Amino acid sequence: MVLLSIVAGLWIATKRIDYTWRWERIPQYFAYHSEDVKTINFDGHVTKIDKKGDLTTVTVKNDIGGETSSFVIDTKTANVSVDEYLMEGDTVGSTREWKAGPLAHGLWVTLWISAVASVIGLVIGVVTGLCRVSQNLTLRQLSITYIEIIRGTPLLVQLFIFYFFLGTVLNIGRLPSGIGALGIFAGAYVAEIIRAGIQSIPKGQMEAARSLGMNVPKAMVYIILPQAFKRTLPPLAGQFISLIKDSSLVSVIAITDLTKSGREVITSTFAVFEIWFVVAFLYLILTFTLSQVVAWVERRLAVSD
Amino acid sequence: MIKTVDLEKIFVVRDQVVRAVDGITTHITPGEVVVVIGPSGSGKSTYLRCLNGLETLTAGHVHIDGVDLANRKTDMNKVRREVGMVFQQFNLFPHKTVLENLVLAQMKVRKRSRKEAEIKGRALLEKVGIPEKEANYPSQLSGGQQQRVAIARALAMDPKVMLFDEPTSALDPEMVGEVLEVMKQLAREGMTMVVVTHEMGFAREVADRVLFMDYGKLVEEGTPEHFFTEPKEERAKLFLRQVL
Ligand SMILES: Nc1ncnc2c1ncn2[C@@H]1O[C@H](COP(=O)(O)OP(=O)(O)OP(=O)(O)O)[C@@H](O)[C@H]1O
Ligand SMILES: [Mg+2]
Repeated sequence: MVLLSIVAGLWIATKRIDYTWRWERIPQYFAYHSEDVKTINFDGHVTKIDKKGDLTTVTVKNDIGGETSSFVIDTKTANVSVDEYLMEGDTVGSTREWKAGPLAHGLWVTLWISAVASVIGLVIGVVTGLCRVSQNLTLRQLSITYIEIIRGTPLLVQLFIFYFFLGTVLNIGRLPSGIGALGIFAGAYVAEIIRAGIQSIPKGQMEAARSLGMNVPKAMVYIILPQAFKRTLPPLAGQFISLIKDSSLVSVIAITDLTKSGREVITSTFAVFEIWFVVAFLYLILTFTLSQVVAWVERRLAVSD
Repeated sequence: MIKTVDLEKIFVVRDQVVRAVDGITTHITPGEVVVVIGPSGSGKSTYLRCLNGLETLTAGHVHIDGVDLANRKTDMNKVRREVGMVFQQFNLFPHKTVLENLVLAQMKVRKRSRKEAEIKGRALLEKVGIPEKEANYPSQLSGGQQQRVAIARALAMDPKVMLFDEPTSALDPEMVGEVLEVMKQLAREGMTMVVVTHEMGFAREVADRVLFMDYGKLVEEGTPEHFFTEPKEERAKLFLRQVL
């Protein structure tokens, strides 16, 4: 009811500003039919036409050299016949296929950038989280410094530093700098989540593991971390959902992710409202899928409760 | 088997010095069952935890089978395999099934194959009387059952000594018996045991020797008959009047 009235209100508001919605133009930016026209680059005769269902193979023999070339085309577009003389630049036929549009491509880029950055963030986070609770003062202070620096500066600024400074100094491209910045950013937050998770496990667990003769690494890997991981799954999921959303910032260093694709499509369509709604919806699909997967894992792990 | 010489453990918490264990010298021989009793805060748990290196010693020595725990070169993990410990709060691994609880350390520490470890684990579950619970998680067991699993888990490492820190204190009264029964059987089989407990009946029936601690010191030691009937020390008399 509330939702309905909000939607109605928005609809009236947009009517007033006289905006023409053109939703029908959106799908072609996901996927489109592209036509690939096959032309020949010599003068010759058609020697053979081999029809096989939807596809046809046309063989053309070069009049001068004598060598032959074959073209695979859609049967419907075949407009030559055997022995027909073709001049350089003539069309033999064409094939049509589905190509991913900019929005689909952007979605894919966002997806894999987020995935790679999540893995990096998780690895950094677990290592830093372990350093954070270690007995070693140097490790502890190093990890605290890292966490404070990352959490105390805006991601946008970190991205610029990564891209302009580290990217130039270490000579790495924009994709690695973008992914690296995201991963290191997420790592700091994951580290704090992991630390809290480890510290929430009763001391008796470590003591029991050690009294069985396990050393600290073994106790961590088999006893403490699995339990901590289970407890920290909800906050970790939240962190990775944030990461997907934050990944939209990489568009400022010219990585063609979903957000940047959206902007590019807008410059050619002027369908500003539609595209941003669609982009928002696509992010929502990604984050919702992730939270569903996590909820499923949580249910699986809950058997021991 | 276990020799402690002038064992001392001092905690310093915000300028407060607590002499939890204050110069204890005893010798526990193989097959002996030693019961440690004393008022709350007298250092019984701390003493026990020093015996398997869960606490670092402030001073003195603990020799287990001739290996000195105070020596920095001693590999604690090697020592702890030989010393099983059972805690008041069970401390089972909640994310593992009962059988996995018994199998894990056998495989990771004793390097046994899974098959071998499972055979051993099942035999021990049989021994403590809950073979049917092997696939359950600890949270699905009663306190008494959990503590018996914890005992089985320690036994799975084939320890030479078993330490018990108030194994029945966290249990409902009706479950105390089943755990004590397992411990009595262990004692009959000749296991060397050091037991901190408030179960005076158990001490009387099973102990070869009773150690009475107060303020970190070993105040009185002797056979159960001696300790429960004619204690010499005033503090021991007072304690017995309160608990009996
Ligand atoms: N980790 C610690 N840090 C500081 N003080 C401690 C620590 N562990 C124990 N103590 C102190 O050492 C003293 C002995 O404690 P301990 O737990 O050994 O007593 P206990 O005889 O086992 O008592 P209870 O019967 O209540 O279990 C107590 O005063 C306690 O406050
Ligand atoms: Mg105690």
